Amino acid sequence: MIESQRHSYHLVDPSPWPISGSLGALATTVGGVMYMHSFQGGATLLSLGLIFILYTMFVWWRDVLRESTLEGHHTKVVQLGPRYGFILFIVSEVMFFFAFFRASSHSSLAPTVEIGGIWPPKGIGVLDPWEIPFLNTLIPPSSGAAVTWAHHAILAGKEKRAVYALVATVLLALVFTGFQGMEYYQAPSTISDSIYGSTFFLATGFHGFHVIIGTLFLIICGIRQYLGHLTKEHHVGFEAAAWYWHFVDVVRLFPFVSIYWWGGI
Amino acid sequence: MAEIELKTAPADFRFPTTNQTRHCFTRYIEFHRCTAAKGEGSSDCDKFARYYRSLCPGEWIEKWNEQRENGTFPGPL
Repeated sequence: MIESQRHSYHLVDPSPWPISGSLGALATTVGGVMYMHSFQGGATLLSLGLIFILYTMFVWWRDVLRESTLEGHHTKVVQLGPRYGFILFIVSEVMFFFAFFRASSHSSLAPTVEIGGIWPPKGIGVLDPWEIPFLNTLIPPSSGAAVTWAHHAILAGKEKRAVYALVATVLLALVFTGFQGMEYYQAPSTISDSIYGSTFFLATGFHGFHVIIGTLFLIICGIRQYLGHLTKEHHVGFEAAAWYWHFVDVVRLFPFVSIYWWGGI
Repeated sequence: MAEIELKTAPADFRFPTTNQTRHCFTRYIEFHRCTAAKGEGSSDCDKFARYYRSLCPGEWIEKWNEQRENGTFPGPL
């Protein structure tokens, strides 16, 4: 038990989740390739792999919560691991988005003669940036403010208020996702409409995917807060969710300026 | 033997690069805009015609002419 170890680190018990995650990843990648080349069974293997990965995430992180909140293994120094690790993960995500925005700039700043040397290409229906895109650029920062409110409530020990603030954060996030879905449904161009469609939908699509993941993370934090898992000194999971959320809302500014506004002129 | 004058499109400061694709494309567009503004066969447009015919590969000109006929030419004519 933790009282008998003479160090403040966490030596984890053996766990099947790393191998199960790896098997899930193998199934996903092989299934993905099979699906894309129209091999029989590809779609099934891909879906099985994805479900397996999601299951592994659920049980692995449930174990982390059990070890930390319930068993008390996460001392201050152990907490540094997840903190730095999550920050580095966010940095890797920044690089990921950088690639898509660079792709967009590469195609739009010096459009090739094959698309007529103009941007947006001829015939592409462009959305008015000052309608839904603008609204959807104001909502993420408001949601970010709400998550900061929640953080301050947690630090002040105001537990119920923190739950309300997280509910507000998640509601704003869901409204954003709803509007974005509606916009996609009504959009005049599709992902296969020239390089414009490809860059537009990949950049905004991945952003939307990250919003959904962040929303899920925040919902889980809301549930944990409600159940009393988070204390004013120790809430690394919440901080990670809040950092991720701020990253997602800052990222939203870039496509608004470069793709929706500049790219549509 | 008569002196044959050989010349090509003048260097255009808008296109300083070795790759002159954009130069060729721009001259092609300029010729067609000139023709649209001044009428077919106008002599003002001749110089643009000579420029683009010097700069552009024949296959591109044929492809673009075909696109213009089909209405699928992507450029801003």
